[in-house]
Amino acid sequence: MKRIFLAILAFFLSTCLYAQVQLSATTDKTTLTLDDELTLTVQVSGVSGNMVMPQLPSLPAFNVYSREAAQSSVNGKSTLFFKYTMMPRFVGNTTIGPVTFKYGGKTYQTKPISIRIYRSGTSVPKANNTQSQNTAQAAKAVDQLPPLERELATRAYAHTSEPYFLVAAVSNKTPYLNEPFILAVRFYYSQSFYDAPYQNPAVSNLFMEEIGEAQGQQNIQGRTYRYEEKRYQLSGVSAGKARIGAATVTFRPGDSPLSIFDRFFGGSAVQAEQSVSSKPIEVTIKPLPTANKPASFYGAVGTDYTFSAKLDHDQTEAGEAVTWSATVQGPGNLKTTSDLVFPTVQGVTAYPAAPAAGVLPNQKDRSYKVFKTELVPLSSGTYTLPAILWSYFDPKTNAYKTLASQPLTLTVTPATHTEKQVNFGSVEPTGNGIQTLGKDIRYVISDSAPQTSWLVLLPHWKWVHALVFIWLAVCLFMASVGKKTAAKKHAYLAAKAQLKKAKIYEDVADTLSAYLLAKWNISTASLPLKDMEQALAKKGVSPDVQEQFAQLWKDLESARFSPQADQAATLAQFTTRSAELLKKLEETK
Amino acid sequence: MKKLILLVLFCVGLVTVGVGQTAEEFYRAGQYAQALSAYEQDLKNYPNNPYLYYNIGNCYFKMGSKGLAVANYYRAFKIYPRDNDIRHNLSLALASGGETLVPTGVPVALHKAFFVFSLAELKGLVCLLGWTLCLLAGVLLLTRKTGKLSLACAVLFLLCAGWFYVRHTWETQPLAVVASPVAEVRSGPGTNFPVSASVQQGHLVELADQKDNWQQVIVKSQGLKGWIENSALERI
Repeated sequence: MKRIFLAILAFFLSTCLYAQVQLSATTDKTTLTLDDELTLTVQVSGVSGNMVMPQLPSLPAFNVYSREAAQSSVNGKSTLFFKYTMMPRFVGNTTIGPVTFKYGGKTYQTKPISIRIYRSGTSVPKANNTQSQNTAQAAKAVDQLPPLERELATRAYAHTSEPYFLVAAVSNKTPYLNEPFILAVRFYYSQSFYDAPYQNPAVSNLFMEEIGEAQGQQNIQGRTYRYEEKRYQLSGVSAGKARIGAATVTFRPGDSPLSIFDRFFGGSAVQAEQSVSSKPIEVTIKPLPTANKPASFYGAVGTDYTFSAKLDHDQTEAGEAVTWSATVQGPGNLKTTSDLVFPTVQGVTAYPAAPAAGVLPNQKDRSYKVFKTELVPLSSGTYTLPAILWSYFDPKTNAYKTLASQPLTLTVTPATHTEKQVNFGSVEPTGNGIQTLGKDIRYVISDSAPQTSWLVLLPHWKWVHALVFIWLAVCLFMASVGKKTAAKKHAYLAAKAQLKKAKIYEDVADTLSAYLLAKWNISTASLPLKDMEQALAKKGVSPDVQEQFAQLWKDLESARFSPQADQAATLAQFTTRSAELLKKLEETK
Repeated sequence: MKKLILLVLFCVGLVTVGVGQTAEEFYRAGQYAQALSAYEQDLKNYPNNPYLYYNIGNCYFKMGSKGLAVANYYRAFKIYPRDNDIRHNLSLALASGGETLVPTGVPVALHKAFFVFSLAELKGLVCLLGWTLCLLAGVLLLTRKTGKLSLACAVLFLLCAGWFYVRHTWETQPLAVVASPVAEVRSGPGTNFPVSASVQQGHLVELADQKDNWQQVIVKSQGLKGWIENSALERI
């Protein structure tokens, strides 16, 4: 079984490998004399590994006296040249039959070539005629080519004297922003070469992607050139000038000294390295028109876009995700376009996913972009997903065009798994014959909102704040005033108590001073006696009480500075007089 | 004419009763999206009704959107924290995302006591105690007879003010819940940064910073810090 599988795999691989084999046979001339020699070149490309030599047909009209083999390689792709030099044997028209080449189980054949042989010494004007005829035919063929190929072929005509050259051309020199256009680079050669690495052109203000390779043959001024072609797809990044730099091929002319055919046909000398480059190309990127630009335009420019949308399931359960995807296909690089915005669907939660983009298989100049969003329907029912709009700019008509997908229907059945997920409680006995089997959320509450607590209202009663502060202020004021009143009220009582405790004259004087200070704020420390009498007069004290106070104050000072013999009796006398004075002062209103 | 008016009034009454019962009927029938729509309509008229948030949370929970359920239960819990049903459903919804309402090591009774009042009620309580303290202070100033009562009131006031401060800090911290089935936590605000973790819906995250459509989040329960797209989060 394994062998069968390997055999099938080998068959498919070989089929893929052999699919690109190209075989051609050309002669350097189609008319000659018996003295001339004819060179037949058989060219084989697209082969690798073991192979057999091409088989020449029966050539009764020629003697083959020289054979050569050469190999050229561009970016790892080999082309084999087999040259046969022949001498004609007799005059007349003859045909070189098809050259046969067997490879990978297939047989390839070239077209027959007709040759006209003249007698020796006969002028052969036909060669020039043939050459001009060929040139005219080639020019006619060039005119019939598509524009890009015609441009490349035309540029190639400017290099007729060179055995190796490189030309480049673009399909559009004034594309719109993001409009795809093609760059083709061709390496022409009429002689063999080897070791030829290719260097891509550098670009500015452009996106560039390689989209393919090709090989071909072109007759230029009677000389047959083979060419290797590379193609790129480009698009402008921003409006304005853009530049495509030179592409370069570096190679060694002649045959490779390492060629396997050297063993049979002799080696060749190593040639000096040469290089050829294409000319840089300037491109003008045109801005897109702003007028009539639709909201569903995401930056795509080109023609022949297709747009579609689909669901991976059109039936699901509530709470389960389905994928809603929209695919756009068309020319150019869709990677650079903005992401599609899906329309919203009532009752469905959407989770957009990152888009995927790439090149279409077997169509390297066309790409695709797939936009996806995960939809989670919240409940059962039938949902209609609306049409999605996607617009692009068509440079052919200079107008925006809008594509719309078909509306889709999604049928959602009630969820069957939700309860299972909720049950994260373990089965456990709770005692009293009750066993917990699982847990679930409690049922909805249909009551009206709970009564708002009166506490919630309190911060909104600004007037209470104001009242409380007023209350506090009043209390503070009242407390301050009351303290003074109380001090006045307490002054007499405090003085009387202090007099009872007096032991020396100073105690009596201090008591009077403290009373006057507390009662009327009269300081006895800094005022002369006369001023004290005036202060008392201002407070409404009668003149005789003033006189009594002055006499007592003088007697106290005399006693303090000239003590008497019987101090105790004198102190008692002063105490009595002071008490009487205080009583009279207290009675003053 | 009189009969016609009575008939019209009867019909209006029937319709009114029907509208009032619609949301719950949808819920009972398992039509949670319709119930959700009806409750959300009611919420426009009664934005401070905790039971509407609770019922919306129930609808989301039944539809499998645990993250949105947690967000709505949380809103209900903030308004009316002492309701047992709200507490129960919030605990269950959080548990489905691996979170807990009561922090590990904290007694449930203490947690319930801490959340016996809503923040608005607690503010009112602080106001009330402040006013009482001012009144007693005034009396004390005038009569010097309410010293001990004023002191007790001052202590109560300070305790309540501290309680209010802690609750206010807790409730005003920027929180969100993961609403999408899975949220990718990236090391920076953009898809060009690598994914460092994924968080299932229902997880609570603390919001630290914002850049365009990206939120810097801290998942405390997992010790994670990173960036999540706004669309994957529901702010509480």
